[in-house]
Amino acid sequence: MSGVKVDINQPIIKTSRGDTSASKNARSLQGLIDGAVFEIGQILLGKEPQIRLALCCLFARGHLLIEDLPGMGKTTLSHALASVLGLSWTRVQFTSDLLPADILGVSIFDAKDSAFTFHPGPVFTQLLLADEINRATPRTQSALLEAMAEGQVTVEGETRPLPQPFFVIATQNPVHQSGTYPLPESQLDRFLMRLELGYPHPKAEREMFQRRHSAAQEIRNPRQCIDPEQLDLIRQAVSQVHASEDLLDYLQRLVARTRQAPEFGVGLSPRGALAVLDCAKTWAAMHNRGHVVPEDVQQVLPAVVSHRLIPSGDYAGDGDGLVDLLLRDVDVVGG
Amino acid sequence: MNVLQQVPRNALVWGIICLFALVAPHALRLPFWVLGVYLLAVGWRWQVYRGRWSFPRRKLKLAMIVSSFVGIYFSYGSFIGLEPTVALLLTAFALKFTELAHRQDAYVLIFLGYFVCLTEFLFSQDLLMTFYSLLCVTLLTTTLVALHQPGQHQFNRRTIRLAFVMLLQALPLMVVLFFLFPRIGPLWKMPTNSHTGTTGMSDFMKPGDIASLTQSDEVAFRVKFEGEIPPSSDLYWRGLVMSKLENGAWSTLGLYSVPAKEARPQAVSTTGDPLIYSVIMEPTNQQWLYGLRYAISSTPGVMATSDFRLISPTPVEVEYIYRARSWTGAELEPKLSEWRRKIETKLPPNANPRSRAFALEMRDAVESDAAFMSLVMNKFTTETYVYTLKPGQLLGRDAIDQFLFESRRGFCEHYASAFVFVMRAAGIPARVVAGYQGGEVNPVNKTVIVHQFDAHAWAEVWIKGRGWVRADPTAAVSPTRIEMGLEEAMESEGSFLSEMPLSPVRYRSVALLNELRLRYDALTYGWQSWVVGFDSGQQMQLLHRVFGEISARTFMAAFIGSWALVLIPVAISLFRGKDTFPMSPADKYYRMFCHRLSLIGLKRVSGEAPGDFARRVVAAIPEETEQVWNITSLYARMAYETGADGNRNDQNALEELIRAVSKFKPKAQRNAGGGLHPPV
Repeated sequence: MSGVKVDINQPIIKTSRGDTSASKNARSLQGLIDGAVFEIGQILLGKEPQIRLALCCLFARGHLLIEDLPGMGKTTLSHALASVLGLSWTRVQFTSDLLPADILGVSIFDAKDSAFTFHPGPVFTQLLLADEINRATPRTQSALLEAMAEGQVTVEGETRPLPQPFFVIATQNPVHQSGTYPLPESQLDRFLMRLELGYPHPKAEREMFQRRHSAAQEIRNPRQCIDPEQLDLIRQAVSQVHASEDLLDYLQRLVARTRQAPEFGVGLSPRGALAVLDCAKTWAAMHNRGHVVPEDVQQVLPAVVSHRLIPSGDYAGDGDGLVDLLLRDVDVVGG
Repeated sequence: MNVLQQVPRNALVWGIICLFALVAPHALRLPFWVLGVYLLAVGWRWQVYRGRWSFPRRKLKLAMIVSSFVGIYFSYGSFIGLEPTVALLLTAFALKFTELAHRQDAYVLIFLGYFVCLTEFLFSQDLLMTFYSLLCVTLLTTTLVALHQPGQHQFNRRTIRLAFVMLLQALPLMVVLFFLFPRIGPLWKMPTNSHTGTTGMSDFMKPGDIASLTQSDEVAFRVKFEGEIPPSSDLYWRGLVMSKLENGAWSTLGLYSVPAKEARPQAVSTTGDPLIYSVIMEPTNQQWLYGLRYAISSTPGVMATSDFRLISPTPVEVEYIYRARSWTGAELEPKLSEWRRKIETKLPPNANPRSRAFALEMRDAVESDAAFMSLVMNKFTTETYVYTLKPGQLLGRDAIDQFLFESRRGFCEHYASAFVFVMRAAGIPARVVAGYQGGEVNPVNKTVIVHQFDAHAWAEVWIKGRGWVRADPTAAVSPTRIEMGLEEAMESEGSFLSEMPLSPVRYRSVALLNELRLRYDALTYGWQSWVVGFDSGQQMQLLHRVFGEISARTFMAAFIGSWALVLIPVAISLFRGKDTFPMSPADKYYRMFCHRLSLIGLKRVSGEAPGDFARRVVAAIPEETEQVWNITSLYARMAYETGADGNRNDQNALEELIRAVSKFKPKAQRNAGGGLHPPV
């Protein structure tokens, strides 16, 4: 999250009126979300912004990619997310010799029945934790493609639906590390957000050290805060969030800039633009607002677009630098 | 009915305002029942709007049309002529309003309105009327704008501002079209407004006529001299020459009573530099024009008569501009024809015996006609004659006798009439000349304003070897009248404009009022000479001055070129717009707010969202916290919440935003925090 300020603790905008029609309902949702954030925060210290973005990604029905150096808490975060949402989950450790069948499942000849029976792979779950996804070969990576995009897998000519909801939380090491196969753009595009965790704040790190050896503070799994029905409620609230003409104008200005400015090699695809809008709506709903404000877009923008933007040959920076350009230069106010 | 096709309330109200604004200048000319039709039409349409009544049925409409026609026929006695046709148009305009149901009806009505607006100029081309019709055009355009703002359920005053801006944008093109559009001669003959009477002098004069004319403060004409304005005592504006005395009244020779070979003026040898001047005459519905002694005009159409006057071929129905040159010292008709001599010495038999006897006696006492003339003039100077607007009754067969020898009180026409009578009685050719004398010099634009109260009558006497010589007995009786004007001459009597207590001319002594009056008159003069009188001749002169020799090609080039000159900036501004969407008012005022803050060093970065910016601003200038948040949340509500629950409050929020932003005047803090940039 280099250079992008994510300032969650401040209220976005004071509005003079009550926000959503079901504002009581919304308030309980707010409590729900705050509870989830708190629970995860107990395990992953001092990473509230990332936790919120990760929740936002899941509420927006998107897959999440967490990228950072080993040992930064990627797996911890994904575990915690799974527990908090109370989803059935499986974890696959990707290695260079992992094969597609290891993920999707395989048909084995059963001598007793004289027939092939399908043994579902770990992908048949609600939440798939794909650890170190870029250590697997592209062939294996692409096995996930259909599952992520369509919510189904086709094995040996037979299409099988996956359970609902279906999320993939993948973690990966930075691309320049040895022994990695970078994810192709098409695969990156399937992830709604990419998060970087970064080093913890010294204060949070100190607390982490202290907890390590205090017997009283045993590490526990976070409890489930949100059940599937509540998840549906949140998604319903998201679908009612309104994006005004002015906001869509701003979004279009952002997208147009990625397609026109010389720093950008490839502009944002319509899918990328829709992803920004979906996340902004979710973000607004998570903050108890019935409409999207530009701050919502700006908060989610880095996580949603930085892995989709490719700098042009003349530009020295990376995706994050491009996002900074967008946030700084594109005028929020129309006219 | 489709909502888009309905006429919104706002447009309806503006339409009603237009209706009355358009009929107002005609109100005094129209029969009163037409105004009733207006009230009825508006009332009906309003009831339809309220859902109380329905639109009139076909049969009723037919009845209204027929009765309007009948009404107009009975009011004017005819359908022919300017006034009945305009009245018909105005009545139709009102009736059309009752069937204003759809948007396309409103189009018809509005475009008809523009035409109705034009008809005001058929009656008056006054400067004030022009301003008034500009107002009418603005109102009509406002209605047109309101028609395209669906969903305006309230009367909205701001619509007129938009219309005004639109018209302002059209102004340059209007100016170009006015000055450069080819002046094509009229393709039709405008009907004349036969019902308005003639004003000013008439072509016969009986005692008291001019005196009653001097009770009017209306302007007869305005003159602009090239070079110095001659002194007032030289300004004898000849309008009519009256050679016939019948039944105590002087009158001009009819055009057809002059024999053909006498109909043209004799050649006049002129010496010296002429006075060059142009005259803008107010409409008189008469043919004669006014000029100084021996005037010839270069204006096409102006004709000269055998008694050296200028006349127009048609009655002067609108402001009329002509140029003239005058040689005041020229010898007029040094050789008098027999016919002319007979005409100019003719007297009715037997009347005024004392005057005749007096004339013959005096003529015998001196040698020459000239000496006789000065002798008679001397009689007016030395004996007690009174120059007055109230001469008392002087009628009957021997009125001149009565005036000369008994009452000795009279106005200019009495003196002129008596003088000419005495001259003719002595066998000397003489005639009465009527016109205006003097005039008020307007220091603002160096024009001479001649009012009706400057009307005057004097005499011309034919002296052998000198031709026609001007003789003004009034000058002998009351030199003040000639040198200072009527007001000073009548000062002791107090009879100047005594019937017009409110005339601005009466308050000439109040400096401020007089200044205002003269300035307005100068404006009127400019208006008449530059706009009303701008014809193809002046257009050519203008082009000639700018481009030199004018051919059809250069004319077209100038025309199209100037058009392009006006339209190119419009095109550029269209191209230069950031995108094709116009800036929304909320954005505009929010940007104004940002601009005010940038003036005190708090500049919003492009990508800074309103909420983030507000937090930074509040940190820098905490005393403005409330205002800043108020504006920011109003803007955020309009920009990001509209559409969420309909835009019902949009208009109110905008008004609130405009108010808040225009009140917002942040002051930079001397020891401001980190939000402020360091002073450069």
